[in-house]
Amino acid sequence: MILVLQQIFEKTLARLAQHLVTYVPPLIVAGTIIAVAWLLAVTVRWMVLRVVKGAALDRFLGESGLSSMLDRSGRLRGAALISGACYWIILAIGILTALDVFDTTLTSRIIEATVFSVPKLVTGLAILVAGFWLGQYLNRSTIIWAVNEGMPYPRRLAAAVRIVVVFVAIVVAAEALDFAREVFFAAFIILIGSAALASAIALGFGLRGTFEKRIGHPPSPEEGERERSLWSHL
Amino acid sequence: MPDSVIPEEAGRALDAIQRADIVIGIPSYNNVRTIGHVVRAAQAGLVKYFPEFSAVIVNSDGGSTDGTRDEVLSASVDFSRLLMVSTTLTGIHRLSFPYHGIPGKGSAFRMVFDMARRLGAKACAVVDSDLRSITPEWIDLLVRPVIHAGYDFVAPYYHRHKYDGTITNSIVYPLTRSLYGRRIRQPIGGDFGLSARLFERYLSRRDWESDVARYGIDIWMTTIAVAEDFRTCQSFLGAKLHDAKDPGADLSAMLQQVVGSVFALMDEYQTAWSLVEASQPVDLYGFPYDVGLDPIEVNLNRMIRAFATGCRELGEIWSLALDGSTLRRLRGLTGNGVCQEKFHLDDELWVEIIYDFGCAYQRSRMNRGHLLRSLTPLYLARVASFVVETREMFAADVENRIENLCLTFETLKPYLKERWHTERAAAATLAGPVRDQQPGPPSTDPLEVER
Repeated sequence: MILVLQQIFEKTLARLAQHLVTYVPPLIVAGTIIAVAWLLAVTVRWMVLRVVKGAALDRFLGESGLSSMLDRSGRLRGAALISGACYWIILAIGILTALDVFDTTLTSRIIEATVFSVPKLVTGLAILVAGFWLGQYLNRSTIIWAVNEGMPYPRRLAAAVRIVVVFVAIVVAAEALDFAREVFFAAFIILIGSAALASAIALGFGLRGTFEKRIGHPPSPEEGERERSLWSHL
Repeated sequence: MPDSVIPEEAGRALDAIQRADIVIGIPSYNNVRTIGHVVRAAQAGLVKYFPEFSAVIVNSDGGSTDGTRDEVLSASVDFSRLLMVSTTLTGIHRLSFPYHGIPGKGSAFRMVFDMARRLGAKACAVVDSDLRSITPEWIDLLVRPVIHAGYDFVAPYYHRHKYDGTITNSIVYPLTRSLYGRRIRQPIGGDFGLSARLFERYLSRRDWESDVARYGIDIWMTTIAVAEDFRTCQSFLGAKLHDAKDPGADLSAMLQQVVGSVFALMDEYQTAWSLVEASQPVDLYGFPYDVGLDPIEVNLNRMIRAFATGCRELGEIWSLALDGSTLRRLRGLTGNGVCQEKFHLDDELWVEIIYDFGCAYQRSRMNRGHLLRSLTPLYLARVASFVVETREMFAADVENRIENLCLTFETLKPYLKERWHTERAAAATLAGPVRDQQPGPPSTDPLEVER
């Protein structure tokens, strides 16, 4: 009995020793690679922050509304964005290189999958960012327009515009990523169909009111003139 | 030599004329009702007051479909009825051509100035095509100071109804006066006299393809003239009566183009305006007299409603532009509902709003179009307050009221400089610490020096 236990224990120790011999050196190398990558990423981020002025980019980010979309305070700078992107790219490359050191089937699959999905992920992310940005831009445009034109419920109108735009972006991104395409497409059709139906009903009600007014009390020439002439602002 | 914007057909016509001392420019777009009168007044003015000079009347049209151009070419004056003492030696040419480029008054002016340069004109005057009160004397009053007194820029000075020209009275006049220190009462009047030196300067600029091409043109011309120290005067033209200007025009777009042009030029001329501390009167020519004016209806209720809606819905956007205390005071105006008869947006708050928007425009924390369009409800609130305040006032009292607003703009100018500097410093800090730490040459920025 003791002999059996001793054999099991010895085999376990041998396996452990083999694992240690097999995996510790790559683990150390991988750790070193990640540490170096992290150091490099931090250095590059620091340098980019100091070298890149990005005044034109700052202006673009501010005017396009991207800075207030990515950072609620609206103080996001182009240099910070570029340096952040550099940091994460270097770190990601470091991690993938570290994984490659192990040279196993699993790590090879992870690396392969990651590398092949990068273009798709980048495309999907770009579509989403563009969609969210366009949604915010049109949201603001709509709310300002609705207030200036005296439309009812400006905020709801603007929110509806934003939801539609963002949803379209999500559908397109899902298409690009090949992720639940049918579900998103069906939801998109339902949303657009509902919006069209709601618009048609609203238009119908609006036109009915207008026709009733016009048939009941056609505007006198004086009323029409006064409404048009207002005053010259300039 | 800047690019020419003269169409080929117009170029051939100019080649035939060869030279002209005076060019009168009339921009138009579907103004068949009034343009004939304007052309006849210009023709009579040139014959009566400048018979010894060769002259051309140029209609720069934006693609009218109502026969405006035909009206220009067929309009004629029966000189036998005017009992002229003198007759012109060379005759007056009339040209009408469509301009190319962005549709708007600025593009129309650009073609007029280009044609004036090609003809070697000594003076150029531009007048609106919707004027009903223009007389031959206007041409004399706009051109004579240029030709005989050496002025570069002649701005109009008219009597207008107290509710006419509200962007001028509440924003453009006080702001321009406080910034550049010149009291040009109608900086966006639309009728100007210009020297060759000045219109060549305009043509040499590269910002024509902006709001300048549209409603921004008038303030752009005035600002360049005062900021670059061209000799400037005003001429009293009497009353300004005109057709309703673009009745369907979008107020927000108009406000965006005019105020956007003022703010854009503030950035370019910050060295000039930051040195100015008070304002000086500008020479006034002509013989001032009182005139009767068309009454103007304003819808007070609609304006206050627009402001209340703006307060409710645009808070997030305004918070990016306005100082915290300004925003709080603004919200206080609608705190317990709005009483139409007692509605009041005081001068100080209004001036701070305009200065804050000017600084926000430079800072680019949001889209500039959104920023400027969000000003519309605030502008309507100011107009409503002005209407309530001046309802029972006569013209002279109203003018005093506008003068008080101008003085508030001038008094609060240090607030503008302070905010302008703070914004620029904040932007510099965020742009990168290395630049901040580097020792540089002594600052030449007047805002820095002042501090």
